[in-house]
Amino acid sequence: MRRLVSIFVCMLYLTGLFSGCSAAKTESASAAEKDVKAKVYLITMDQMDQHWQNVNKGAKEVADANSDLVEFKWSAPDKKDDAQQIDKVNNAVSDGAKVIMIAANGPDAISSALKDAAAKGVKIVYVDSPANFQSEATFATDNKAAGKTAGEQMLNELKAKGVTGGKVGIINVKPDTTSCVLREEGFRSALKGSGLEILTTQFCEGDAAKSQDAAANFISQGCVAIFGTNEGGTVGVGNAIKASGKPVVGVGFDKSDTILGLVKDGTLLCTMAQNPDQMGKKGMETALKLLKGETITEKNVDTGVSVITKANVQ
Amino acid sequence: MGKLQERGFLKRIFAIRGMVQVLTVTFGLVMLCIIFGILNPNFFSGANNLNLLRQIAPILLIGISQAYVLITGNIDLSIGSVVGMSTMIASTLMSKSGINPWIAALIAMAACLVIGIGNGLLVAKCKLPPFIATLGTMTIARGIAQLANNNYNTDSIAKVLGEPAVQGFRDFFYYGSFLHIYNTIWIALVLWLVFDFFIGRTRSGRHIYAIGSNAESARLSGVSITLTTVKAYVVSAFCACVVGLILCAQAGMGAMDAGSSYELYAVAAAVIGGVSTLGGQGLLIGVVVGASIWGVLQNGLQFANVAIAWRNIIIGTIVIVSVLLDVIVRTGARGKNFKMTSKRNARNIILGRVKK
Repeated sequence: MRRLVSIFVCMLYLTGLFSGCSAAKTESASAAEKDVKAKVYLITMDQMDQHWQNVNKGAKEVADANSDLVEFKWSAPDKKDDAQQIDKVNNAVSDGAKVIMIAANGPDAISSALKDAAAKGVKIVYVDSPANFQSEATFATDNKAAGKTAGEQMLNELKAKGVTGGKVGIINVKPDTTSCVLREEGFRSALKGSGLEILTTQFCEGDAAKSQDAAANFISQGCVAIFGTNEGGTVGVGNAIKASGKPVVGVGFDKSDTILGLVKDGTLLCTMAQNPDQMGKKGMETALKLLKGETITEKNVDTGVSVITKANVQ
Repeated sequence: MGKLQERGFLKRIFAIRGMVQVLTVTFGLVMLCIIFGILNPNFFSGANNLNLLRQIAPILLIGISQAYVLITGNIDLSIGSVVGMSTMIASTLMSKSGINPWIAALIAMAACLVIGIGNGLLVAKCKLPPFIATLGTMTIARGIAQLANNNYNTDSIAKVLGEPAVQGFRDFFYYGSFLHIYNTIWIALVLWLVFDFFIGRTRSGRHIYAIGSNAESARLSGVSITLTTVKAYVVSAFCACVVGLILCAQAGMGAMDAGSSYELYAVAAAVIGGVSTLGGQGLLIGVVVGASIWGVLQNGLQFANVAIAWRNIIIGTIVIVSVLLDVIVRTGARGKNFKMTSKRNARNIILGRVKK
């Protein structure tokens, strides 16, 4: 009996499925006529960091100004997760997205899904973090250069304090988060030959609490300076230094209210502020150009960083 | 005449234990679909149907995992970590050693089944509380996942083997399709049919229900509790491993934290579908509905342009409401005593004193 019911329900599912399939073609044709507005999706790594909220803000500004042309949607996994982000891309494609602006969580993991999307005629624009797949354009920070700037700031401060040796800790996000890995590379290149010893990088998934624990461990190992490669990591570094009360030099990345507060009260030496709103804005402008069929001349744009210190923090 | 038969048919459906809840939840699922369809007509497009079912498939598989174990009156917290372990072992073998994808998958499967057997033995033979035993294996399996590639996510699985060599594997588990339906959906469907048959039609299946509803009387009537528990945990590890391979094929690489908190998604899918956490009751068709609700919310809320946080709130609410329904139905069936027994049962489950 139970099996009969099971089969019955399965049949229901399948009929729904097949009817959907056969109807798909006519549906999409009529949908194209009805939908004058083209859907543009922004898919970030998560929705929590202020960084992503600022990317969204920049994109939304442009989208609102062109609300007769585009329908803008922002979606993201609830945590940084490849599988979930792939689902988000697939969902966007089946929702009829014309352009997807994406910050790739893992550059390899997402590539096949983007390739599938591009094959269906969806245009891909990278914001913040590109993947290993040819896109229309990329708007991102030159992370290696920015990481190097961070390293130089740290060195200058240590020199000014008369510290010439000692251990340095790095709080990173994940081994495959390209943007942050590049920042670490740049940072390491700046410290090369300085006599400072860089300890094994701690990966804390951008989680502020985890990062704080790891940073506290660094401090008890006697680190003279710590570098946080993203927002969550920087907050963790700042809080750990504050809690320890030791004169550890903290250099961070990104800006949020918490980070600016930590810079203001002198806990953190400085933070590298990216321009996420520019990424969103320029990404959206490119999306509009793509929708109008214009050619994109600027394929790879560095949206730049500014060093925020106690002196210039607002 | 026909009407009478029909009534008999319906009556018989309702007579199946747990079917009432499955039908109630199915009604909820249909309502959800209608709401999302109205909010965004693209929800019902053919492309999205397939896309949605492909997202439901892994949740369904881990739902089957958890349902098997819940029906025996235990719980399996190691599911998510086994997913991660399977992904990491398979992709490390491919990306580093250039081992044939299918052999890599088999090795990953063997490792996962060992965890399953271990879980079963710890719970049934060593009499450890299932919550604690699987908490331990959960942590161990996650550690193995992290250790597999020296605490790094793996490179592309095609790195040594080359794209063409792994394409078959990736297509089989995720990207390919058969009769216009993605392979992932077929895999879930076939495994569901197999395990539904296994638990509903075989002696081993009846034993799983038996030790869940009353372990002592099952033992007295000659059911081997150890063997049956091990079987349930092995099924659980098997399905989790398949999900791991799906994630590996999907991403084309291994991520150390793949499958994190899947064990709880699995509890949600099973419980929403009417599987009792007290053991002895649950239908695998319910897990299909539970997993579908999860997938539909995930997909539909994105279509409706709602922030992801709402999905969590809604899922949490649905879990509570569906278990409340179960409690109300049971209270009606067993009288006022229920409250006491259920409390005691719940305590026994946590303390691992489940009628053994």
